[in-house]
Amino acid sequence: MHTVLIDDDSTSIFLMRLLLQREEFADSITAFQSAQEALGYLQQAPPAHLPKVILLDLNMPVMNGWEFLEALQPAAPQVLSHTRIYILTSSLAQTDMTRAEQNPLVTRLIHKPLDKLELQLIRAEAEQEGGVGAM
Amino acid sequence: MNRGVRQLLEGKERFRSLFEHNPDLILFQDAAGVILDANPAFLEAVRRTRAEVLDRPFRDFLPPDKAPLFQEKLAEAFRGTKVVFEVSVQLLGAEPRVLHVTKVPLWVNGQIAGVHMIAQDITTEATSRAIIEQQAKRLHTVFESITDAFFLLDKHWTFSFINSEVERLLGLGREQLLGRIIWQVFKNEDLNQFYRQCRHAVATGQAVHFEAFFEPRQLWLEIKVFPSQEGLSVYFTDITDKVKAHEQLYRQNKDLQQFAYIVSHNLRAPLTNMLGLLDLLVAQAGNAPEYAPLLSHLQLSTQQLDTVLHDMNTILSIRDKQEVSEPEPVPLAEAVAQVVANLQDLLEQCGGQVYCAIAPGLCVRGNRAYLYSIFFNLLSNAIKYRSEHRPLRVDITAVAAVGPEPAVQVVVADNGSGFDAQKAGPDIFRLYKRFHTQPGGRGLGLYLVKTHVEAMGGHISVHSEVEVGTRFVLRLP
Repeated sequence: MHTVLIDDDSTSIFLMRLLLQREEFADSITAFQSAQEALGYLQQAPPAHLPKVILLDLNMPVMNGWEFLEALQPAAPQVLSHTRIYILTSSLAQTDMTRAEQNPLVTRLIHKPLDKLELQLIRAEAEQEGGVGAM
Repeated sequence: MNRGVRQLLEGKERFRSLFEHNPDLILFQDAAGVILDANPAFLEAVRRTRAEVLDRPFRDFLPPDKAPLFQEKLAEAFRGTKVVFEVSVQLLGAEPRVLHVTKVPLWVNGQIAGVHMIAQDITTEATSRAIIEQQAKRLHTVFESITDAFFLLDKHWTFSFINSEVERLLGLGREQLLGRIIWQVFKNEDLNQFYRQCRHAVATGQAVHFEAFFEPRQLWLEIKVFPSQEGLSVYFTDITDKVKAHEQLYRQNKDLQQFAYIVSHNLRAPLTNMLGLLDLLVAQAGNAPEYAPLLSHLQLSTQQLDTVLHDMNTILSIRDKQEVSEPEPVPLAEAVAQVVANLQDLLEQCGGQVYCAIAPGLCVRGNRAYLYSIFFNLLSNAIKYRSEHRPLRVDITAVAAVGPEPAVQVVVADNGSGFDAQKAGPDIFRLYKRFHTQPGGRGLGLYLVKTHVEAMGGHISVHSEVEVGTRFVLRLP
């Protein structure tokens, strides 16, 4: 399934790509090292090109994960009908966890590193019909 | 007998009676001080007969150091004036006394025929007066020697006593305060908090204790006010330095905490990459078996590093007030039951039993998550460090504690392997301190317990004996 990775850390992107390929999670992966670029892509993408899954880092320069979600808000109904957004962060702060739980755009917060079990769970969730809206 | 004589005789009789029966010591002396007459009260006081006293100089009955005084006063009376004085004296053969002495000249035909000395025993009054004076002096010394500033306000808010520390701290002299109403000395806005606290003290009859900033002198003061029948007793000390040091410490602590946060987060980002990369490497190690042990050691080290960062984050979150929710009443029995249920598997595996004696309604003011963590850590420690020689038994009891503040005292006692409390000392609750070589522990549990207990405003202590057991006593708000 089509997956978008948003993370400023190239190693992290490399690692995620490797893992996704190994687990045969995604047939197509689009990676962005800047949240702004990712935002532009998602806002212009025709519905058919919207990803099934977005893995979003929080701590990024210029536009961080929370700012990205806020900017995405106007396009949310369209995006969410196709896409699940997961926050993937190395932060262990409880505040981030609470904030993620309260944000309707976010399916779940996942602590790095991403592993096989977590990926299986995401796959199961994403394969449910119609993304978040159908829950 | 004519009337005049009778009057004279009656006068004489009356005088005699007054002389004979007077409880005061009365003497009649000539200019040389010789005793011409003495009343029974005097004779009794010096334990002599009349014959033994008459025609002897009064100084024979005086201690040498007092004789000149009496002689001088006698001479003064012989110059025609009534003389009054007080003296502390021990007459020969008598008890030590304080005497109020009056010497009155007796005029006969325009000449002074002699002097009557009337000595009233005022020992009791003098003693009590001396005690009162001494007490007042002592009180004054006490109030001057205490380092606190101290003043008294009467019922009308008037300064009735101040010590010199008050003068020093307020920068005002005694004369500017004593006898003046507090509102005349200070501005209303400077007294607002003080007045509010005082009103509370008066209304409840209870002492109040508070800290306040005193604008006119730019001082932080720690103030205690005690209400009484007389008004208010007020003690205060200058804590400006302490408050400033505390503020600075708080700021530094905040900065350090912030720094620790940033470091732990920045460390964890590359670490998670390493963890992920290692996972993949280990999965591929089948291709190169000679690397397998190297990889597994590398993986272990990386995981240990991650554990440290997790611990650090846990500790920092407790310390960070922003992540602390408002205290709420938490039913203690419920919180403990939840922990016991979650540890049931481990308990069953080791054949351990937990006995709870907690009143169902008993509540603790605090944070549910902290309470859970406290009992979880204590109980898992009990399981981890149980004795090999007997099945584990843990007793958890809780009672409402006596004291001015509402509190709950909780005792968690086990029959486990214990530790040498003497040797461990205050280290027992410190981070990364361990007291058993087996089985493995990180030395975080008790540190967390203490941090949680204190974050809730409580207190914890521990007693332990090797191979007898460990007993934690918690006092929670």
